[in-house]
Order: sequence, then C-alpha cells, then structure tokens
Amino acid sequence: MFILSVLLVPFLIGGIIFFSHKLSQDKGGPRPARRVAVADRTRSLSGKIVTVFEEYNASNPEQQIILEEILPAPDREAQAEEQKKRLKDKSIHAYVVLDQDVLDGSGKIRMYLFDTKASELEYVSQVEHLLNRAVVNQRCENANLKPELLAQLRQWVPSERVQIGESGQERVEKESERVIGMMVPFFFMFLMFQGVFGMGHHMITSVIEEKNSRVIEVLLSALSPFELMAGKILGLAAIGLTVMSLWGVAAYGTAVWQGFDIEITIEMLTYFIVYYCLGFILFCSILAGIGSICNTLKEAQSLMFPVTMMFILPLVSWVNMVQNPDGIYARVLSFIPPLTPMVMVLRLSASSTVALWEICLSLLLLVMSVPAVMFLAARIFRIGILMYGKRPGPREIIRWIRAR
Amino acid sequence: MDAIVLDNVTKSFGPVRAVDSLSVRVPTGCIYGFLGPNGAGKTTAIRMIMNIIQPDSGRIVVLQNGPLEENRQRIGYMPEERGLYRKMTAGKVLSYFGSIKGISPRECDRHARQWLERVELIDHIDKKVEELSRGMHQKLQFAVTAINEPDLLILDEPFSGLDPVNLDLLKDIIQDMRARGKTIIFSTHVMHEAERLCDYILLINKGRSVLDGTLEDIRSRKKSHAVVARLAGDTEFLKSHPLVEAVAMQEKNLEITLIPRASPQELLKDLVGRVEVQRFEVKQPSLHELFIQLVKEQNAQ
Repeated sequence: MFILSVLLVPFLIGGIIFFSHKLSQDKGGPRPARRVAVADRTRSLSGKIVTVFEEYNASNPEQQIILEEILPAPDREAQAEEQKKRLKDKSIHAYVVLDQDVLDGSGKIRMYLFDTKASELEYVSQVEHLLNRAVVNQRCENANLKPELLAQLRQWVPSERVQIGESGQERVEKESERVIGMMVPFFFMFLMFQGVFGMGHHMITSVIEEKNSRVIEVLLSALSPFELMAGKILGLAAIGLTVMSLWGVAAYGTAVWQGFDIEITIEMLTYFIVYYCLGFILFCSILAGIGSICNTLKEAQSLMFPVTMMFILPLVSWVNMVQNPDGIYARVLSFIPPLTPMVMVLRLSASSTVALWEICLSLLLLVMSVPAVMFLAARIFRIGILMYGKRPGPREIIRWIRAR
Repeated sequence: MDAIVLDNVTKSFGPVRAVDSLSVRVPTGCIYGFLGPNGAGKTTAIRMIMNIIQPDSGRIVVLQNGPLEENRQRIGYMPEERGLYRKMTAGKVLSYFGSIKGISPRECDRHARQWLERVELIDHIDKKVEELSRGMHQKLQFAVTAINEPDLLILDEPFSGLDPVNLDLLKDIIQDMRARGKTIIFSTHVMHEAERLCDYILLINKGRSVLDGTLEDIRSRKKSHAVVARLAGDTEFLKSHPLVEAVAMQEKNLEITLIPRASPQELLKDLVGRVEVQRFEVKQPSLHELFIQLVKEQNAQ
C-alpha cells in the first residue's frame, strides 16, 4: 500500500500539471442557449444592445445568449412581476432592467436571477459585460466619438519582460512563466508540508499500533525508549527524503516536459534538505510525544488538531507570502520553529533578497528547539508508551517530565 | 552466582502497594517460578527486573549489573500482554526482532528458520501474524523472546492459552535451555505447571513474599496432616481413634486427616497391630493446596 501510494503520487502531480496546463488553454465546451429578457428604460439603447448581442452570438456559436427585448409598458410593476414569474418557471434565465439614467452614470443594471448555479456565473458576467459595452457605445455616440477610436485610444502598450542571464543572453519571459514563478515556491512549500506532515502521520500510527499491540514491551526489552524514538524519527526522515526526491523529480520532469523553464539551484536544494531534516525531527518528536500518551488514533487526532491548524496557516496564505516574501507576516512565521521549514523554503524560492541573518537566525532557532523538544518528548514518550487506559492530564505529564 | 537479586524492593501505584519489600535471589542456571494469584504483583516485579518501571525503593541487580546496553541483549522478555506486528509474516517478525536484539543481518533469517522449526511453526513462515491461532501466536512470541539465545529468559505467564501438546513442547524447550546454563524466570498462577518445571518457587500474595525456596524445601516446611491408606478389615474404629480428626472414603482408599501435632508414624504403628495395612502413604501437600492455604491465611490477617 505504502509503495503504491508513493509511486502513484508523482503520476498525480504530473497529471495535475499537465491538465492544468491544458485547461488554461481551454475555452469550455458547448452549453445550451440562455434566454435573457432586457427592459431598457432609457428607451434609447435598443439598437446598441441588439448589435452587441449579435456580435457576441456570431463569434460564440456554442454558447449562445438569446436576447429578448421587453417593450416599455405603462405599468412597470406588473411587467416586472410577469418577468419574475417567467424567471421562476425557467422560460427565461435572467431578467435585466437598465435604469433610466444609466447613460449619465448614476443608474444601474439590475439583473434578476433565479436559482443560479456556480457554473452559470460565467454567462451572467458575460451579459453584464455586453450590456456595458452597449451603454458605452451609446455614450460615445452621444459625445460624437467613434467607439473604435475610443478603443484605439485606450489600447494598452504591449510590454515585454526580458530576463538577462549570467552570460548576457536575453530571454523574453512568457506569461506562463509568471505563473510558474508563483507555483514553484508553492510547490516547494507543499512538498515540505507533505514530507513533514504526511510522514509524521506514520510516526503517530506506528507508535499507537505498537502501543496497542503491546509490541512496545518487547521492543523496550531490547532497546531504550530514546533509541526507539530516535530510530523511528531517523527511519521516517530517510523515507521522507526518498519519497520527496521521487516526487520532486517527477514534478520537475513533467514541468520540463511541458516546456516550462524552471531553474532550481543547488543552494535551494541544500536549504531544502537542511530545513527538512531539522523540521522533521522537531515535528516527529512532538508527534512521538503525542502518540505515546494516546491509546487510539482518534484520541491522537484531537490532540493533533492545534498542531494541524498551525500548519494550515502558511498553506492558506501562501499567495500573500510569495508576493511579499519579505513582508512582516512571512517574517514572523519564519521564526515559529515548526513552521520555519515551510515558510523559509517558500520565501527562499520566491525571493533572492531573504537576508542571510534571517536564514541563520531561523536555522539557529530550529537547531535550538530540536534538542529541547526532543528532550521533552523523550521524557513523555518513555513513560507514556507503557501507560494504558485514561489519557494523562497536563499536570501528570509535567510530573513525567520532571521525573528522573 | 546470582542472575537476579531483588533487595527489599517496593513499588506503589497510588495507594496500592503492588510490590512490598520483596527480596529474592535467582541463582544462575535454574528455573524460578513466580507464583501468585491474579494481581499479586508478579508482573510488576518482572517489569521492574526488566527496567521498564523503576522501583520506589530497594535495589535490583540483574546479571551482575553489566552495562545496560549489553544486558538488554542478554535478556529475553516475554510480556504478559502478547503483541507482535499483525501485518508482518511470522518469518519477518522473527528476523526483525533478531536484528533488534543484535543478531547480524545475515544470520537473522537462519535463526528465524531454526526457531520456527523448534516451535513447529515452520509451515507458517509466510503467514501473517494475524492469521495465526492464539496458540501459534504464543509460540511465535516465545521464539521472538528466545531468538538470540539470551542468558536470562523472563516469561510472564508463558503457558496461558496453550493446549497440552504445545505446553509440553514449550516446557521441553525451557528445560533444554536450562541444561545449557540459561536462567529462566516465569510467572504463573497455575500451580501444577510450576510444580513440574521449577527448581525454585517464589510465592507472592498482595505484593509480599509468602514462600521462597526450592520445591522440596517448601513441601517439607509444611508438615502433612493427611494420610492415604488401604486397610483390610473393619475400619470403623478409626472414626473414634484419638489421633484422627476425620476419615473419608475415596474409592478403595481411606483419606485420614490427623489431629494437629499427631505423627503419621504413631498411627501406622497402631494400625499394624489391628488390621492388615495394604497401603500407607503420607500425603504430600500439593503446591495447589499449599498455595490456597497460605493465601487464605494471609488474607485472613
């Protein structure tokens, strides 16, 4: 099972990269035509609205939006009620009212929708877009300005980002590279997360399994508790490194195959390995301590919850940290030892301006916290693994730590 | 030379004194039985010998206090709660524990096969532990304990759950190990197992040593007050005999209980004059009877 999952993940990573690449080029498949009822209270936009919808439908034969103009009626309330009823029985998909004063900018486009699915949001914004275009076109006409001229005036100047290499060669950066620039740091962080957190899970299950099956007593007759704990951490760290290099190579391979140009320096890899080893020992020691005082996985999970929440923090805020690798938020997280490895590899791969003192300080903090946490964990571990039954309270655990 | 010395060892769990001023010497090369009812403190004593838990007070010397690391490899311990990796095969489990216990990796598989043959599990070498029956599991656990030929074997309730055939198999192996100079300690609450196997016996009740010594010692310490006899002729007179407390008929034999301080010899002399004595045997108190008697006496105090 383990080997299977290890081998499958690279394919998964490759697959995700491959498909996300393909997907970004995809325009989406055909969908049934949508019927939109539009009531134009300015009474002057009709021609423009019809034109923009015709243009749109002509260029999107598979995603038609059918326009239905609602002529002004004396009783607006009754008209609105009638359209809303049609909306509910689904004979139209949207009912739109353009306020009388949309042209001078104070009115609104009001869209009435019924039971809209997330997948339909795209055509809704398309309708908004089209109506806006109609309004702008009419404004142009009122100001005696050709819409084409306006578009021409407003046209962006194309820009090109040129990366200059070490030996002077120049390379134009593609749009996809900017995305990759964001994704590489994320991938490094995610790999670190998987390596530390995913492998750490094995620690907890193995401790609890050995505790439950009482293998632990046989093991302890041959090994000291510290040897046992250290052996587990080292073994899992080695497996973790192997698995991560497999996954990393697979991801790198797929990216290169898909034509992305990724540069990963030896320096980065070294940092990764150093941070991984320290981070893993730290995290695994915590887990060994937790695992040893629990009798079931369920108990362990409830104790794990705060730890898990902490690890989620960098995962949900990675975009911010990639864009601001030297921001105060990223910096603070760098110095919380269990998070240091994840945050630091993210920052190091996102920016080249991470100060050396920060790297040194974060490493120093890790290096100092590892023996401290290991010491505490070993104290809890050596007593906890032989205790069955009720989970000890904090006071009892402190007594274990103090015990000779 | 003593393999294990416990000197005035005490261990409490909260208000309960699990082991109370216990002193024992286990000579090298013998089989020592720790007997006692459930909850007497046998397992606690064994766990302290194994250094799994520490005594509150007292001194424990195991294998002349050799270096801890070295000692660990010289001791085989079979805990009361059996446990092995359920998903591993029998052969792999043995090799794995062999390697932990200091057998070189190349030798592990060979040792594992040898031991599986010895406990008659060689046909199940590729079966997962969880597929084994309870008795097989037990034998495998024993093989795990003994795989590296330790000098000292500590077995907590080694015979529970074994059928008579496997019981004898295990006893043979244990006796064979004693013959090769190993020391074996085991705990049990089933007396006749101990009676057939032990050189020495320690009887514990409520954490205290009740009896300690060789089997012979223990038996002779307690004077017997019962006699089994087969007599030809009228035996009615026995019921009113001054030395006799009670008479019971057991098939063709009479079981005669004497009054305290009466000697079986006096009774025999008297009987020979009156009837034909076909059989006369001073009844040895079985360990079982001794055990129950002593535990009752102590609990009554």
